Amino acid sequence: MKNLMEHMGLDPGRLHFSWISSAESTKFVDVAKKVTAEVKALESKEKKFVKTKPKVA
Amino acid sequence: MAEKEPKILSFLCNWCSYGAADLAGVSRMEYPSNIRVIRIPCTGRMSVKFILAAFRQGADAVWVSG
Amino acid sequence: MTTYSDKIKEISKRLLKEGKVDLVIGFRKGSVPLMNQPMFAKNEGDVDSFVWDSNCGINLANYVTDRSEKIGIVAKGCDSRNLVVHIIENKIKRDQLHIIGVPCKAMVDRHKIAAMMPGEIESIEENEADGTLTVTGSGFSETLNKAGVLQENCALCMHRNPVLYDELIAEEVTEQNPEEVDQYAAVREVENMAPEEKWAYFDSLFSECIRCYACRNACPLCYCPTCFVDESKPQWVGKSVDPADVRTFHFLRAYHCAGRCTDCGACVRSCPVGINVRALTKKLEKDCLENFDWKSGLTLDKRPPLDTFRPDDPEEFIK
Repeated sequence: MKNLMEHMGLDPGRLHFSWISSAESTKFVDVAKKVTAEVKALESKEKKFVKTKPKVA
Repeated sequence: MAEKEPKILSFLCNWCSYGAADLAGVSRMEYPSNIRVIRIPCTGRMSVKFILAAFRQGADAVWVSG
Repeated sequence: MTTYSDKIKEISKRLLKEGKVDLVIGFRKGSVPLMNQPMFAKNEGDVDSFVWDSNCGINLANYVTDRSEKIGIVAKGCDSRNLVVHIIENKIKRDQLHIIGVPCKAMVDRHKIAAMMPGEIESIEENEADGTLTVTGSGFSETLNKAGVLQENCALCMHRNPVLYDELIAEEVTEQNPEEVDQYAAVREVENMAPEEKWAYFDSLFSECIRCYACRNACPLCYCPTCFVDESKPQWVGKSVDPADVRTFHFLRAYHCAGRCTDCGACVRSCPVGINVRALTKKLEKDCLENFDWKSGLTLDKRPPLDTFRPDDPEEFIK
């Protein structure tokens, strides 16, 4: 999935997968922060990438 | 500033990451507010359709966690 | 190719006469040149319309899905691989099938030929001895070298001989040497692009799409009772030719074929506007080969990669 997304030109930083057990709240917070940081970095780099794929009425 | 914040749609498994998120909340840990959680019964419920639908409707990123 | 046609007729007649099968699926001449049609022969009289030439690119495995009769089916290399996929996915039982294997000598690309000709093509003659095709239309007649106008997937094909059959109609043809044919040159070209370039590449690739779903209908893998594009509650994808919708459709259709696609080229052949749909499926095929060491439709004994778990499955993408 991710590979094909990338192949089509969607930035890989926009799709994340992770594996967290219900006891690992610290890991959850870590990953949440990491994902957000990564997406924010993208945002500043190339705005509106996903907006090229708008929902049509 | 407000419109600059990205929206990250996260699909969390009820038994794993959703539990972790719940525990994080109970333990009063702080995590970024960009994350919008959708609880799914199991990561096996996940479908590529969901991801595409999320992007279609303007999510900036998608995070799937089991 | 007349020998092929005659042999197919002969075998089909015998099977129907002996009552071994209820029907035989093969090709007959199409109503337009370069497009042979599938045909179901239910009695010996029908059999005489069977033909075999270089325009049999449609995948006949498409027509056996969920059928209950005993079926004789004419299968070239890719058809036989798709039959294997069907059997693995419980869409047909092995003992329902009598597979008439055809060692394939590659099919020609109708889009390529049409683009080369100055006007509408009226007929095409094949000369097997020197490997040429004579294409005629109103006011022109040209002779082409068959090797130059093959479908791209046929030019790259590694499995021209059927992998599963009950009888063969001719001697096996020699397979191409895997080292000499660069399977994934086109995929790599796209892989090396920057994200924006890729996006633009697929934008222009799909810009012609009219959403006729011919690729889906021709594809032997697309047998869902209700395709996701037809679902309306919820509606996953719009029905317009909006670039976002077109992209979603092609993306998801391709993804559904991951680990199942045999690169038969039926999607590309059936496309009325000549979109190279294989740009996506070929990438998935490459990924399956690299990540799971998997080529679809070669054996009945192994489960496909997306349906099994192995401890050594790649998981670098998981945090």
